[in-house]
Amino acid sequence: MYKKLLKDDLENFIFILKKFGVVHAPVREAGRVYEFTELTDSKILQLNYTRTMIPPKKFFLKPKEQLYILNRREGFKEIVDDSKIVLLGVHACDINALNLLDRIYIDQFPDRYYKTRRENTIIIGVSCKPDEYCFCTSTNSSYALEGFDLFMHEIDDSYIIRIGSLKGFQIVCESENLLAEASSNDIKEFKRAEAERLKEFTLHLNVNGIQDILDASYDHPVWQENADICFGCGSCNLVCPTCRCYDTADFLNLDLKTGVRVRRWDSCMLKQHGLVAGGLNFRPTRVERLYNRFNCKMSLSEDSLNCVGCGRCTVYCPADINFVEVLKQVGED
Amino acid sequence: MKEPASENKPKIGVFSLTGCAGDQLMILNLEDTLIELLSKFEIKSFQEASSYSENIRLDIAFVEGSVSTEHDLEKLKEIRDKSSLLVAIGDCAVNGCVQAMRNSQTSIAERMLDVYGVEDNIYRALEPKGIGEYVRVDFEIPGCPVEKEEVFNTLISLLNGDPPLIPDYPVCVECKLNGYPCVIIEEGKPCLGPIITAGCDARCPSLGLDCVGCRGPIKGETNAKAELEALRKRGYPDKYIINRLRFFAGNFPDIRILGERKNSKGEK
Repeated sequence: MYKKLLKDDLENFIFILKKFGVVHAPVREAGRVYEFTELTDSKILQLNYTRTMIPPKKFFLKPKEQLYILNRREGFKEIVDDSKIVLLGVHACDINALNLLDRIYIDQFPDRYYKTRRENTIIIGVSCKPDEYCFCTSTNSSYALEGFDLFMHEIDDSYIIRIGSLKGFQIVCESENLLAEASSNDIKEFKRAEAERLKEFTLHLNVNGIQDILDASYDHPVWQENADICFGCGSCNLVCPTCRCYDTADFLNLDLKTGVRVRRWDSCMLKQHGLVAGGLNFRPTRVERLYNRFNCKMSLSEDSLNCVGCGRCTVYCPADINFVEVLKQVGED
Repeated sequence: MKEPASENKPKIGVFSLTGCAGDQLMILNLEDTLIELLSKFEIKSFQEASSYSENIRLDIAFVEGSVSTEHDLEKLKEIRDKSSLLVAIGDCAVNGCVQAMRNSQTSIAERMLDVYGVEDNIYRALEPKGIGEYVRVDFEIPGCPVEKEEVFNTLISLLNGDPPLIPDYPVCVECKLNGYPCVIIEEGKPCLGPIITAGCDARCPSLGLDCVGCRGPIKGETNAKAELEALRKRGYPDKYIINRLRFFAGNFPDIRILGERKNSKGEK
């Protein structure tokens, strides 16, 4: 079942979405990067954005958050945020990245905070056009098959809408007056738009056997060359939609009896990431950390890469290290 | 709750070498919690707070300021000898801070001549350095000045018997956690954030300003050459970048060698 929404009706559609939760969408204020923020006015919505600096994983695994209130006498109390949110305008790469995080934070190591927020959030995808940093076709993440409630594909003056969940279906029912059945001509347009989009990708990376290639290239000079210009600042990890390491710390109050446990995103490019009890660091140098990061991104999590080809690590690297370029150098020489 | 008897409270002292006393002031700026916080300690010396001072053995000594004179050095050694734990507070004590910006570029004699008109080292001045150059330091709280929250958390941690948690990652991390746009990438500003110790919650980038490096580089981690390269690429002249790097971090090995004068006794 494919539906069609006229762009002219988008504002009304957003009005309906608000019944399901607080709508957050890509917005860019003057001089700033695109970011998912609360959509207070649909006029500021920018559905044709390139990429947000911080991926939508920030809604599920928060950049920094309080986990528990600690109390020596009464034990600890979890702080669970169960607010209802609608994320409008999530790209396919980011949805595929969330599917990957789901396997870890819901299936493998259930995390109550992540799971609660995932269950309370409606995800509405939107189709996109690649820029020179996008390579999601190479990582098999340019199209979302699951992990969303609705997915909107732009064609001319409207969107073709795919339904991905029961909640998505409920939204469709609520928006009956705004949505039409997609006609066979609309479907033809949808197919054409998708084929056109694929042709627009200019960046490609051959990931065939890349795990072995990297494994066998520990000594490749490219690692040291890039470690020499790398700050080890962690920006690449912190903007990555699939990076999922975090660090926790306890902060006590003055009474030394109560306090709070916090966690924040961590980065394997930072020195303390490899620091373990006793003072041993299993990745003491920047070159080891850099090599590890590239390996991690190109390794498999079940059957998908730990990279969705969004291009953020290259775009937001202050040292201008080009992720795809480094991998090509390793693969080709 | 009953306060512990005074003999059970850790005895602490707050001391100052060469600096602006801004770190002592930041402790006093903990206004909301100050009385309750300090009542958990027995304060034996805290010049900026009280003229009272008692010269006895301490559990924890907090030292701000750099070692810039022989007198500083003597005072520091005495503090070290009588204290179980020594905590450096502020960039001056950690790394020499702004006093060190011309280290390895001009000699003490030249500085004397410039400022006092005589070459003789009448004040027994030393090239300004952090206290760790001379004595063992147990913990360091960076900052110019220190963040009062960090002082608070350090005192609480020590009281609880934990090592204090001081960031050993750069300001970039805090920009990303807060979603602040990168002022280097988006605006080509000469931000030092990639090599500077976090803990300020990226205060300057939050206002769209570039980091000037007031918390100092991360020890053992800083890639000063990469910073030089990144800013060169954005059109900044070497002299500007090197001066900027040296401003708070002249003693940092990677930065000290930038702009170092080959012959330190050469022309002025």
